[in-house]
Amino acid sequence: MNETFVTNWKSQVKKGTLTFVILNVLKNNEYYGYELIEQIRKHTEIEIAEGTLYPLMNRLKTEELVDSKWVEQETGIPRKYYSLTEAGIETLKQMNVYWQNLEKSIKKII
Amino acid sequence: MRIEDIKFEQKASQRIYNDYMKRIKKATSSLSKIDQDDVYMEFNSHIYEAIHHKNETNEIDSLLDIIEKLGLPEEVLKPLVADKKLQQATKTFNPVHVFKALMLNLTNGVSYIFFFVLYLFLFGFVFLIFAKIFNPSLVGLYMKKDSFSVFVLGIMNPEHQITNKTYEVLGNWFIPVMLLSIVLFYFLITLLLKLKKSINQKTLL
Repeated sequence: MNETFVTNWKSQVKKGTLTFVILNVLKNNEYYGYELIEQIRKHTEIEIAEGTLYPLMNRLKTEELVDSKWVEQETGIPRKYYSLTEAGIETLKQMNVYWQNLEKSIKKII
Repeated sequence: MRIEDIKFEQKASQRIYNDYMKRIKKATSSLSKIDQDDVYMEFNSHIYEAIHHKNETNEIDSLLDIIEKLGLPEEVLKPLVADKKLQQATKTFNPVHVFKALMLNLTNGVSYIFFFVLYLFLFGFVFLIFAKIFNPSLVGLYMKKDSFSVFVLGIMNPEHQITNKTYEVLGNWFIPVMLLSIVLFYFLITLLLKLKKSINQKTLL
């Protein structure tokens, strides 16, 4: 068995689906950065390089799929909460349909 | 919103934290003040939340672990700085921002290399204006005598002008035409960048 090949493939799959995972995590709730990472870890067991989440969130914001707002905290350190925009919700619907179709097709061949 | 730094009990932890935050500031120094503060506050919030969720007894170990997972600011923030710089460039039309944005985005796709080449042309026009001022008799737009094709835009020796049967067409209009070309090229590049951004968005939606 070529373990290196499988490891590389797994990492590519994780990288390719991270945006999809993030949008689905944000589907029902708004989260701040650290909490979002914890949610991704809890639901998918994907260990992401934490610092890379923020450039990705900025890109999703530029694409107008997510929105963010700073919320003051009693601790004095504010949190930046992310939520899906209307365009984000619609895009995610399309992505979920595509994913389900892909899953069905793949199941047929494996 | 006021930026509040995290206070640590151990001096060594405070120094590690201060050093990391300083590196974030340095990595984002080319951005606007609002964007710099936004990135700073977000990483600050991440470190603060991570420390309080970990509940580890050893403060310094906990901090080192968080910082390691976040990654090196210079590397992690590279795509974010490149994206934000591009947004700033297309919003402000400021040539310095456009140039910096193109430099930062060169590795993000072949199309940016095309934009960069266009930008080099623009600097070429600027150079030609100065060349014309210092060398008015040699610099110009030279065309072949028997056809309408442009032969040379730049410097041409008198011997070459004779041997190639060329003549200068713009005369005193050279500098105004170059200035106009600079303005046109500049707006063309910035509008194409805007168009590219909106195409990228449409293909994603």
